[in-house]
Amino acid sequence: MAGSVAASAFFPGPGSSPAALARISKNTTGELPENLSVRGIVAKPNQPPAAMQVKAQAQALPKVNGTKVNLKTTSPDKEDTVPYSSPKTFYNQLPDWSMLLAAVTTIFLAAEKQWTLLDWKPKRPDMLADTFGFGRIIQDGLVFRQNFLIRSYEIGADRTASIETLMNHLQETALNHVKTAGLLGDGFGATPEMSKRDLIWVVSKIQLLVERYPSWGDMVQVDTWVAAAGKNGMRRDWHVRDYNSGQTILRATSVWVMMNKNTRRLSKMPDEVRAEIGPYFNGRSAITEEQGEKLAKPGTKFDGAATTQFTRKGLTPKWSDLDVNQHVNNVKYIGWILESAPISILEKHELASMTLDYRKECGRDSVLQSLTTVSGECVDGNTESAIQCDHLLQLESGADIVKAHTEWRPKRAQGEGNMGFFPAESA
Amino acid sequence: MLRCHTLPQCRLLAQPGAGAGVLRRRVAPGGTARWGAAPRVSGVEASSPSRAAVEGGERPSMAERLRLGSLLEDGLSYKESFIVRCYEVGINKTATVETIANLLQEVGCNHAQSVGFSTDGFATTTTMRELGLIWVTNRMHIEIYKYPAWGDVVEIETWCQEDGRIGTRRDWILKDLANGEVIGRATSKWVMMNQNTRRLQRVSDEVRDEVFVHCPKAPRLAFPEENNGSLKKIPIRTDPAEHSRLGLVPRRADLDMNQHVNNVTYIGWVLESIPQDIIDSHELQTITLDYRRECQHDDIVDSLTYIEEGEERCTNGSAFAAPHPEEQRQFLHCLRFAGNGHEINRGRTVWRKLAR
Repeated sequence: MAGSVAASAFFPGPGSSPAALARISKNTTGELPENLSVRGIVAKPNQPPAAMQVKAQAQALPKVNGTKVNLKTTSPDKEDTVPYSSPKTFYNQLPDWSMLLAAVTTIFLAAEKQWTLLDWKPKRPDMLADTFGFGRIIQDGLVFRQNFLIRSYEIGADRTASIETLMNHLQETALNHVKTAGLLGDGFGATPEMSKRDLIWVVSKIQLLVERYPSWGDMVQVDTWVAAAGKNGMRRDWHVRDYNSGQTILRATSVWVMMNKNTRRLSKMPDEVRAEIGPYFNGRSAITEEQGEKLAKPGTKFDGAATTQFTRKGLTPKWSDLDVNQHVNNVKYIGWILESAPISILEKHELASMTLDYRKECGRDSVLQSLTTVSGECVDGNTESAIQCDHLLQLESGADIVKAHTEWRPKRAQGEGNMGFFPAESA
Repeated sequence: MLRCHTLPQCRLLAQPGAGAGVLRRRVAPGGTARWGAAPRVSGVEASSPSRAAVEGGERPSMAERLRLGSLLEDGLSYKESFIVRCYEVGINKTATVETIANLLQEVGCNHAQSVGFSTDGFATTTTMRELGLIWVTNRMHIEIYKYPAWGDVVEIETWCQEDGRIGTRRDWILKDLANGEVIGRATSKWVMMNQNTRRLQRVSDEVRDEVFVHCPKAPRLAFPEENNGSLKKIPIRTDPAEHSRLGLVPRRADLDMNQHVNNVTYIGWVLESIPQDIIDSHELQTITLDYRRECQHDDIVDSLTYIEEGEERCTNGSAFAAPHPEEQRQFLHCLRFAGNGHEINRGRTVWRKLAR
């Protein structure tokens, strides 16, 4: 659906740091220097199990319909505040500042590393936390991070994750971000103040830069954050990395506008909504302005060389393409856009960048056609060069749904990626 | 993809540490794990319990330790848990049946991999590859009692068994991890086919030895009850279909690694010809599909739906047709090539009324 992925902001710092410290106390129990636990700077290693479990449960199973509120952010959680209260006692008792400073630094550094580690085994099935990839807020509440394991059905014919899989992960993190921040109102991604006014987020533009594609069994780490886009819009960025190597997989940025879900008219951002999400805007950019400028806009004509156009008609949404509002999910459009890309490009090249301009939504009964224009010299299957394509997805009756522009580069040789694969033919 | 990936058989290679139930993912024979690169925080590794199980001093990566699937202690079945993601949820705010089918396939694949079958997507044993044999799905039967919602965690256990002379069976049980409740069951039948001649092949003793060594010897059925739905024949219907959706076209994403439409796509196509009022008021409880022919990118498919009346038995033992109770609807399905009308799949679905 056009408005399905929304990302609002989150809870600021205080919500996350004590959580991290509490987690540290649980995780690094055996690993802190002896004197630290003596001085009580960390909550006692033998914290009563009940406290730990409550803490874990707070993050464990956030239910969509709100039966389990995210305790970390909305209720005063005593376990969260224990680490903060200890230093007060500590100040009174022990005057050794340098030791204190060293200890605090060690803890915070360990916390930095530990935040994304799930080293503890859940003792009960409900202590799930991020074991299953719920994700967590990091960096003073301004960034949300979640990990995904690439599943077998998420890979394409070339055995790497499809661009749709990657986009699905972006959508999932955006929603989990909003949910974890306690700002999930009605419907997909709208905040409570928005829902009161029948407002929803609608995506207007997405830009992606892909550096490498993960394979089946790889773990990816997705970071996401929000920022302002003009006076009434919002920008959401993502940075996806390979979990183990830290190498960038993809960077993306998106622009969202607010729309009234009944009138379908664009709306200004009400002050109440600005108050909800404004504090969490993070100025960081996944794709810098210069990089953004270099990407051609959808609808750009190829000057000079002759072009070839390919068409695929008769595209219709299936039940599984629809979200809860029975609108087509954003990510499905990408599959349709690529339907008309010639197979010769898909076989030898991989998508390096994509810019999408969302124009209109479509629903269950729409029939669409996908047009791809490939710039002249690229069509003959020359595998050495980069390729540019311009795309148009429209209703067969005429209206434009999405315009896109893509750049492709020759596929890298499958080196390490094929480790462990034994093609049947060569056995 | 079910056809190629999910392997019903199990075979345990001599892998040290496999018995400990630790799943090592895709370690090439050379011994270098794909993620042999040192994980970022080395201090934590030392306390990992799975470290001991790993051969040759490789440290298990975060991904491997997060790997939630493992063989059960007796090595005869495999269990894994999955969280339902937002894009896997449909118009009812619950996971779609395609999502469930994808997860069944995923856990089947991972089971096969954990016991050493090939990871190229064909999940074959050495002997099978020598003889050019692959697995082909015959029938898939899924029953869902309670659909999971976004954020729920589903635990799936799977195992496989011999099924007569030419076939094998893979069964699954799905549970809600939070409360242990069974939310679904599934079973599938597979036969072996020669890749080149496309002819079915009996399971020879050689292959049987390789393949069934780690399957339960005593029959273990996801559907142990007599006359259960997974055994019911699906008749062919010659009358005009009450509902249809014509001209369905495979998308690129619907194709598996050998360019055939994957099994889960057929489920979506079957549902395409269900009328909107059923979709709005009912929930899919059971789907049974018999696979007959394969379909490729350039084919065009028609989806037909027939109402199936229930069968009641009257006192003298003969059956008569009667409508189903208000809460349940039942349909027969046919997917066929738009061009020549040949059958691709045959199916049955049972729907229960949504409590709105």
